[in-house]
Amino acid sequence: MIFESLQALLAPSSLLAVFIGTVSGVLVGGMPGLTATMAVALLIPVTFVLEPLTGLILMGGVYCGAMYGGSIPAILLRTPGTPAAVATAMEGYPMSRQGHGGLALKVSVIASFCGGVFSTFVLLMVAPILAIFALTFGPPEYFLLAILGLVGIVSMADDESSLVKALISGLLGLVIAVIGTDPISGQLRYTLGLTDLYDGVSFMPALIGMFSISQMLDLTSTKRIVTDTSTLQKIKREPFPKGLKKFVGLGSITGTVVGVLPGEGATIAAFLSYNFARQYSKKKHLFGHGNPEGIAAAESGNNGCVGGSLVPTLTLGIPGNSVAAALMGGLIIHGLIPGPELFSKYGVMTYAFILSLFLANIIFLFIGLTMAPYFARISLIPTPILIPVVCLFSLLGSYAMNNSILDIFVALICGIAAVILHRTGFSLGALILGLILGPIAESGFAQALIIGHGSYSIFFTRPQAIILWAIILVLLIPPIIQISRQSGRKKADVERQSDTSAE
Amino acid sequence: MTRRFAEIILLVGFLIAAFALYLSTAEYPKMVQGSTATYVRFLSVWLGLLCLIEMGLWLRKRGREEGKKLNVTSAPFRFWSLLILMFIYSILLEYLGFYIISALFLPVAMMVLGARNIWSVALTSGGVLIFVYLVFAKLLGVPLPQATLF
Repeated sequence: MIFESLQALLAPSSLLAVFIGTVSGVLVGGMPGLTATMAVALLIPVTFVLEPLTGLILMGGVYCGAMYGGSIPAILLRTPGTPAAVATAMEGYPMSRQGHGGLALKVSVIASFCGGVFSTFVLLMVAPILAIFALTFGPPEYFLLAILGLVGIVSMADDESSLVKALISGLLGLVIAVIGTDPISGQLRYTLGLTDLYDGVSFMPALIGMFSISQMLDLTSTKRIVTDTSTLQKIKREPFPKGLKKFVGLGSITGTVVGVLPGEGATIAAFLSYNFARQYSKKKHLFGHGNPEGIAAAESGNNGCVGGSLVPTLTLGIPGNSVAAALMGGLIIHGLIPGPELFSKYGVMTYAFILSLFLANIIFLFIGLTMAPYFARISLIPTPILIPVVCLFSLLGSYAMNNSILDIFVALICGIAAVILHRTGFSLGALILGLILGPIAESGFAQALIIGHGSYSIFFTRPQAIILWAIILVLLIPPIIQISRQSGRKKADVERQSDTSAE
Repeated sequence: MTRRFAEIILLVGFLIAAFALYLSTAEYPKMVQGSTATYVRFLSVWLGLLCLIEMGLWLRKRGREEGKKLNVTSAPFRFWSLLILMFIYSILLEYLGFYIISALFLPVAMMVLGARNIWSVALTSGGVLIFVYLVFAKLLGVPLPQATLF
């Protein structure tokens, strides 16, 4: 069957579809406000006139390409093309400012490729087994998964004060995520009568505001993104950093596992992978200042989600995330009902589709590696020209998500709030993490309490929950010890200084 | 304004918000008092507590960092001009439509930020608008805001 699938994939129409799909995906992913979900959904009517396999391959290519494409503006302009690229922006943009944007892009595309290939391999080999594992996750586990993501807040702090501020920022994100419709009762909360807030504060405009607009406001005082332009001339010769393999591996596994869980997305996968990398890195101090290890973990994590999310989609008909849901729509339109038949009766087409994902990964790897030096030159554009263009695309991207003018104001307010919060020492990363994980945490917490008849023991009795608690503790204890040590050291330094001045 | 004073204003604001959030949960329906209302109460209590802890830390090291000024930007004219221009853009977007307001916003913002080469300003503005028309409007069918004034 695999041989027949390969034959089907190597047909010229299929190869052209993979190429067009992947290139379009990279372009869509690279533009803030245009998501992979939107692109796949837009393609569904187009695939009507195509052969089912060609249509599917086209959508798969877009999915793979968009996941990678989001990292390009995130690294060069601190404007994440997709929400999943936020963690990449946190490390990639500082590298760009130091003149290493090309290297950051290289790390990003290689990590994306590895994550994508690994998850597709898993999809090909063990999809049915993983699908059964995904079904064992219930509301308590989803709540704990959100907590696992929020643990990352602790590792973003250096001392007691910044830890408290990071926690406040995370809680603010969780509070903002409460706005909208109550997931249990359906009652509206804190919407101020605005219909645009019924679904909550849109995540993408808030993200664009906090990362892109705040950064553009910040750049008004500089002439160029890169201060030392001589480093940009060395892009092609810059060696690939050593020791990234374990972070790529960590991200690929995390991304695939998170992708398999229905409802979990690439954003959470990227943040979790980033957090794991931060915990296990020997260069912890470089995180937030341009550490390629963070990019490697985050990018392999969000691309690992691609194959992972297709596991429950193809085997159980439960989409792993919103893009997989749109892709499933395309499958159903062509009469391909997810389930065992997809791997037997329609096996040739299904396996050809899975194999096309490998090809899509190779195509974006080629695009990324050859184009990285040219993409990196964006940072040479003078800011008086660059800032208004990025601001325009940021505002347009905020609007395009829901065709809402209110979303533009959300982006602007978040932009100015981000500048003030950043200047006063609050953590934007923690705030965003709270905003992303808020809805999962709330519905998981509330549903679990309903299932457990109000008893909190439901969070501690199930085996999956116990394993998640163990991982949470393992991730939580080392940074807390480190923070208390650093605080102790700082206190001792201050006392020593005051003693010296008294003498 | 000093950085510490700005922090205190923010913390007091968050504390008031946490208090108001806690009180608001009393109005949640009875059926969610043990689920989502508990979650929101949990968030508000912790937000309030952490704000108080941060204020306590501030009191402990008050003497040391009092003098640090809050420096929002080192180029205030460009910073505030860009922000005001973006707000004006957002307000007028519905009235003038995407293309007209963008055709005004781009060159004005570029000039305000220091661009002096008329050709590069005109070519970039025109190029961006053509790109948006071709990719967003024609290829992807994204409905851009239309003018309601005319």
